[in-house]
Amino acid sequence: MPDSLKDIKEIKKEFITVDFFYNECRDRFKLTKITSKKIKPGLNLTEKNLHRPGLALAGFVDLFAFNRIQIFGNTENNYLKKLSAKEKTNTLTRYFSFAVPLVIFTDNNKPTSEVLKLADEKDVPVFTTPVHTTRLVSLLSDFLDDQFSVQAAIHSSFVDVYGVGLLFCGKSGIGKSEITLDLIERGHRLVADDVVIVSKKAENVLMGSGTSLVKHFMEIRGLGIIDIGRIFGIRAIRYQKRVEVIVELETWDSSKSYERTGLDTHLINILGVEIEKINLPISPGKNITVIAEVIALNYLCKHYGYNAAKVFEKKLTNRIRQNKNGSPNAVESKFKRNTEYFEHDFE
Amino acid sequence: MIKTDVKIVNKAGMHTRPASSIVKIAARYKADFFVEKDGMKVNGKSIIGVMTLAAEQGSTLELIFDGPDEKELCEEMKSFFERGFDEM
Repeated sequence: MPDSLKDIKEIKKEFITVDFFYNECRDRFKLTKITSKKIKPGLNLTEKNLHRPGLALAGFVDLFAFNRIQIFGNTENNYLKKLSAKEKTNTLTRYFSFAVPLVIFTDNNKPTSEVLKLADEKDVPVFTTPVHTTRLVSLLSDFLDDQFSVQAAIHSSFVDVYGVGLLFCGKSGIGKSEITLDLIERGHRLVADDVVIVSKKAENVLMGSGTSLVKHFMEIRGLGIIDIGRIFGIRAIRYQKRVEVIVELETWDSSKSYERTGLDTHLINILGVEIEKINLPISPGKNITVIAEVIALNYLCKHYGYNAAKVFEKKLTNRIRQNKNGSPNAVESKFKRNTEYFEHDFE
Repeated sequence: MIKTDVKIVNKAGMHTRPASSIVKIAARYKADFFVEKDGMKVNGKSIIGVMTLAAEQGSTLELIFDGPDEKELCEEMKSFFERGFDEM
């Protein structure tokens, strides 16, 4: 395990405030707050899942997931409309006796005055949105998954090389930033340097980005702080990228054995996601930038179904079999040169 | 490994210049050096890392030292924090 990945510290949010939720989601999901009271400071959302409270409204509250965001779609709204005045009061009083964090009415549905009155009494903010229920549920789940995902800060440089996310790790001063700069100069895009925040997305995806403070600034030793966006322009930067290959830079260690064939893929587990890892020994005169580009291109080849190491292995096995069987032209073909002369072409 | 808590005492907090001094001190030692604030842990030998924490006056940081000369680094670093980065 490389040093920079050995003791990464996982950060996980226990909650987000409802105020933060509203600020982030107001434009994104076209939310409008219709309760008159201000959102109570310290009102938190602790659950990333959503809840449609149909059964709770109908009276079954045994397993009522009241601490989740409550989604009132057409079903809930029409059910409430259908109730008599007395039933409605009973239902809503029972419903709001639970500590609900917030309620969203979807599909342009408007809550009745009873709902708003009780919600204000209990300090529960109520929002409306024109977005359809299923669409909102899927969008909100995405947003909340991201907010509550496990994250970690990794000391590394993160570059998009030909569309492949390469994360460079290694000891301080080994030259991560210099390689990054070289790659940017060759037209690749910087995601973040020095501090990369990785977060787990879905089951098998690790996303990486910079922090909002540092984004696209980097430090080059001897030079100081520079702004990549300013120097190289918009084409040289991007906000986030999936982490696809981890490249661990290290000084050449003769006691260590490095991968020579490429037949074995080494995987490393970060936040529960398996990522391919390549150990790259550095020695004077080695062009790490070009090697990094080849790592990305080779990754793409493998992704598109061509694995050079495997193809070569197959050719070699065939040749060995031929030699063993003593086929007629075995001797001639043994060290056959790869030459193909055209007529009169002696170049 | 040594872990110790320090408080930011100078008015301007851990801004660019102190951050630069911190990484310069750390670079003179072999030991690994990490700084943690509010659950975020960064490499103390990286100036961008240290500045990412944006530590304000009154905040508490955990310093983590690990390596052969960790004790000496810890003493020098602790003293630098206690002196308010020589800005007091």
